Amino acid sequence: MTPPSLSAALRRWPLLRPATALLATAAVTAALLALGGHHPGAVFATLIRGAFGTWDRFLSGTLLRATPLLLTGLAVAVAFRARVLNIGAEGQLHAGALAGVAVAVLLPGATGLVLLPATLLAAALAGALWAAVPAAMKTAMGVGEVITTLLMNFVALYLAQFLVQGPLQEARGVFNQTDEIPAAAHLPPLFPGTRLHLGFLIGLGLAFALWLYLTRTPGGFRMRAVGASVRAAEVSGRFRALPVIWMTFLASGIVAGLAGWIQVAGVTRRMYEGLSPGWGYTAIAVALLARLHPLWVIPAAILFGALSAGGGAMQREAGVPEVWVRGIEALVILAVLAVDQTARARADGGGRD
Amino acid sequence: MPGANDGHPRDSGDRPGGTAPTGQPRDSRNAPLAARLHGVSRSFGRVVALNDVDFELRPGEIHGLLGENGAGKTTLARVMAGLLAPDRGRVEIGGRALEGGGARTARELGVAMVHQHFSLVPRFTGFENVLLFNGGGWTRRGRLRRGFRERVEARAAELGLAVELDLPVEELGMVERQRVEILKALAGPTRVLILDEPTTVLAPQEVSGLFAVLARVARAGTGVVLVAHKLDEVLAAADRMTVLRGGARVLTRPRGDATEAGLVAAMVGRGGVGDGGRVTRKRPDGAPADRAEAGDAVADGGGGDQANPPVAELRRVTAGDPEGERIVDLSLEVRRGEIVGIAGVGGNGQRTLAAVLAGVRKPVRGEVRIPREVGWIPQDRVEEGLVGDFTVAENVAFALHGSADFRNGPWLDWKRVGRTAAEMVAGMEVRGGGAGDRAGRLSGGNQQKVVAGRELLRSRILLVAESPARGLDVRATAQLRGRIARLARDGPGPPGIVLVSTDLDEILELADRILVMVRGRLLPLPPHGRHPDAIGHLMLAATTSSPTPPPTPTP
Amino acid sequence: MCLFLAALGCDADSDSAADSAAPAVALLTSGPVSDAGWHAGAYEGLQLIGDSLGFRTSHQQTRTPAEFDEAFLAYAQSGYGLIFGHGFEYQDAASRAAELHPEVTFVVSSGSRSGPNLVPIVFGLHEASYLAGMAAGAITRSGTVGMVGGVEIPSARGTFIAFAAGVRATRPDAAVLETFIGSWDDVSAAKEAAAAQLRQGADALIHNVDAASFGFFQAVREARARGGEAWAFGMNRDQNDVAPDVIVGSAVINIPGIFLETARDWRAGTLGGPMLTGLAGGSVDFVPNPARSGVIPAASLVRIDEARAAIVEGRLEVPRIDFLEPAAGDPPSS
Repeated sequence: MTPPSLSAALRRWPLLRPATALLATAAVTAALLALGGHHPGAVFATLIRGAFGTWDRFLSGTLLRATPLLLTGLAVAVAFRARVLNIGAEGQLHAGALAGVAVAVLLPGATGLVLLPATLLAAALAGALWAAVPAAMKTAMGVGEVITTLLMNFVALYLAQFLVQGPLQEARGVFNQTDEIPAAAHLPPLFPGTRLHLGFLIGLGLAFALWLYLTRTPGGFRMRAVGASVRAAEVSGRFRALPVIWMTFLASGIVAGLAGWIQVAGVTRRMYEGLSPGWGYTAIAVALLARLHPLWVIPAAILFGALSAGGGAMQREAGVPEVWVRGIEALVILAVLAVDQTARARADGGGRD
Repeated sequence: MPGANDGHPRDSGDRPGGTAPTGQPRDSRNAPLAARLHGVSRSFGRVVALNDVDFELRPGEIHGLLGENGAGKTTLARVMAGLLAPDRGRVEIGGRALEGGGARTARELGVAMVHQHFSLVPRFTGFENVLLFNGGGWTRRGRLRRGFRERVEARAAELGLAVELDLPVEELGMVERQRVEILKALAGPTRVLILDEPTTVLAPQEVSGLFAVLARVARAGTGVVLVAHKLDEVLAAADRMTVLRGGARVLTRPRGDATEAGLVAAMVGRGGVGDGGRVTRKRPDGAPADRAEAGDAVADGGGGDQANPPVAELRRVTAGDPEGERIVDLSLEVRRGEIVGIAGVGGNGQRTLAAVLAGVRKPVRGEVRIPREVGWIPQDRVEEGLVGDFTVAENVAFALHGSADFRNGPWLDWKRVGRTAAEMVAGMEVRGGGAGDRAGRLSGGNQQKVVAGRELLRSRILLVAESPARGLDVRATAQLRGRIARLARDGPGPPGIVLVSTDLDEILELADRILVMVRGRLLPLPPHGRHPDAIGHLMLAATTSSPTPPPTPTP
Repeated sequence: MCLFLAALGCDADSDSAADSAAPAVALLTSGPVSDAGWHAGAYEGLQLIGDSLGFRTSHQQTRTPAEFDEAFLAYAQSGYGLIFGHGFEYQDAASRAAELHPEVTFVVSSGSRSGPNLVPIVFGLHEASYLAGMAAGAITRSGTVGMVGGVEIPSARGTFIAFAAGVRATRPDAAVLETFIGSWDDVSAAKEAAAAQLRQGADALIHNVDAASFGFFQAVREARARGGEAWAFGMNRDQNDVAPDVIVGSAVINIPGIFLETARDWRAGTLGGPMLTGLAGGSVDFVPNPARSGVIPAASLVRIDEARAAIVEGRLEVPRIDFLEPAAGDPPSS
């Protein structure tokens, strides 16, 4: 053949592609930073240090920030596994947070033994309820869940806005927020002196439980089958897809609802407008990066948490403005996706006859 | 030699009828080859799919490409179409090297391929699908070129392709989809036309229609590659044939020099096929001799046999899509130990009947009695029978996941599922992957073995098999048919079997009694009608002429 | 992990502010400092402190409460002695951090809670709004004035209550319209809200929508272009040059000045209790637009000056929302 083409070179050195993606991203980022008058090496070092530099930064920064993404990421991953395109984790999260706060505020005298399970249950139910509306519309009327779950997000946001201005507003009636939840409802810290709370452990537990469910149980098998092909499920598996789709909606809503309450009980201690900066949407990226695998959601969420925590350090210690930090985060995620995609393409061979 | 190979196919622009070199004598030796592969090798991981293969395609010839499942036929076709880059070797189309692979280059050089699994956009109409693949249909500014539609229609008429252009493809049957696919491939100028196992979805009458189309295409100078594994078809249609075995070319012969026996030996490579393999077709007038005895008791089915009550019973059942594929007021009884053959042209209600028998489709009217578990080998293996992203074991689990035997507390017992799958893989001689491999990596024929093997697992009482040997090679077909025949005969309580097939030979070979499906109804054969011509006549006559099917007399 | 990162400099905080002799001050904002308003003022204040007092400075934009806590603690651990959280939303996190780091002083803009090392800044912007309201009452012909707010938070409502009181002080029968658009940056929502009020007859409008004010001014400008007689008032910063054709004056807070004053007091050790600001200290005021000097009648300007003096001297009390918690009510250890 004439001079080896790029595709031929790529075939010969399979690592070339991910390496190129990484190098290109690094070069672009470094050039941008240098243009902005920053020292790229120092900025990257700050990013890594900010995310992993000390145990406290790792636990109270990276993992704490990863927690809501872990939970919402799991919610999205489970749904997408059954090809239920739940874009509504954001709304389910708000519903869960509102329900948990309502229970915590309405049962002020209760002990932690009552309050913790009661609030978690309320949040799970509220998340499930929020997912049940799109589920019913999909299964009964055939309305696509992408639009309905998305619209339910707005309903949740406005409901939250209304409640924290009205019925659930703090007793003083000054700010648009609820009262602080009683200490008995707080999720305790995992390690003394850090801010990482029990919610992260709940997230890890759910990741393992969902993984076991999806891979080891008949119900999980049916969920995956429906996700792969509804017709194959019905023809080859001889089971109806609709109940499985319902189950998936509810499971996804439950996990997303828990995410909201866990954030309140572990971090904010009260509910207000704008609780989430869009975790329910970022969760889609987290889940896709994890290839919808519940266990891979853990490192994917931690990656996002680390970028976010490291980004804060970049602002504080290297003086990089926030918009730059967000841009660099996005570039890093793109690079990871590119590397991941090429690695996957390599793992898949081709058909043969 | 008017208009010989001087013009690049692109030069003929938007002319849908522009089959590259016209008026080419069929056996011209000095013209450039339509396609030439030289020393082509291609591996997938450790599996060598093609090993140093040479292949020549002359303009105007129909070249049969034969081989067992997994011999490398599809890989060769895909390399020729630029869809796969070879690891080594050279591909030339019309004398020009197809460098660096690239389906687009191949397309520009005039290569078109009709895939085994069609590559049509289901929601688009036939015409939109044709347009999608043919840039010539558009003006530079993105408008539909005037007259393109008329040219496509003219091309279809010229090729004798009756194509429904204005319905979404998803509403068409397999046969019509294939016609759209062929028209799509041939709407533009075409030097090489590759068809990957095109006959697997067709009834016998439809096969001859397809071959007539191909002959017209070849006469216009296009080189046609016909990938197949049914010897008689290739012998009927091809001018030359090449046999692949284990990724290597074993022989290339003109039709005159080829015999069935010689080709089979070349394909199988071990001096013939095993037990139950019949290469020369028999044309029985009744059930095969060894089946006659067992068949006697139930041959007439529905006769009120007290000792052998029906395992499945449909009474005046109406089901399916009122506008399309459906069954109407249909009655059927199936008893243990009998094979009921349902013949018919595809799309006459067979899919609905099978789905009702399997319990997946609820009837609109009528009474359905079926066993709790039914084996069902569905017609559409890619969409319904398998999940390509699942492992073979996971695909087998479709049959097992509901059974308490494969549970361990709340858990699915994957070890047992895996063992069962591995036994099935060994028993069905699935090649190209084991229980733990992705089913999508298997060749089409081996996928079908997985589906069949799985459904045999749940066929203790009733098996519904839709064209079960579709896509299988000679050996595997013989084995699978032997297995189905034995299933109905063996053991104290053999299952009842409903065999739905467009392949009359298959039905004649296996079935104890034969019914013909026409427009959602079942017609019995006339006395002494157990003959392909009689059945074919019933199938076609009823399809084309009489608006309402004749009344169904009880046998 | 430390081993793995040793190459990148795992001794994370060795080069932090604690090592240098100069005091260090940090600022947290919950929005971009490019908003030409609330956040920009704080960032200017941070830079003013750095330039005037020689402090080391650092800024972080935070989005979630998890980040609020983390940023306060990270700054405190890195040796920053004075940390501003610019907005009431920082109150909870600052209270928690103040408890953990008694050696650090936390300042919360529009905060509600005081402590030994926890200082709320109370902006007396309502006093300037009152004066703006007097001007609006003087120039309205229809007798209807409008107020377009962002998110309905106490500080925003407080300015409107005072503005309405100022209007009625000059024109007791005036009708006052109020709209909150629920956002600080939705320009088109601000424009629609203002346009709706203009249609209802309002001809003197004030806003408190921060970055969305561009839409607000545009609505007034278009009303004037159609031949209407309507005027706008600026808020927070001196916006007279943002839309000189339609603005008659602005109610201004000098956020940088207040920040600088806070930092000075902190260095001197005199900072304690709430930082109360208002017309008295000169850090808020109503500034007429010199380019539209004839719009407000001279007699009204005199009365506004009299009212300013009365407020400074304590003879006139402007209605306000008091969201300060009782100082003893919330000891950090509760």
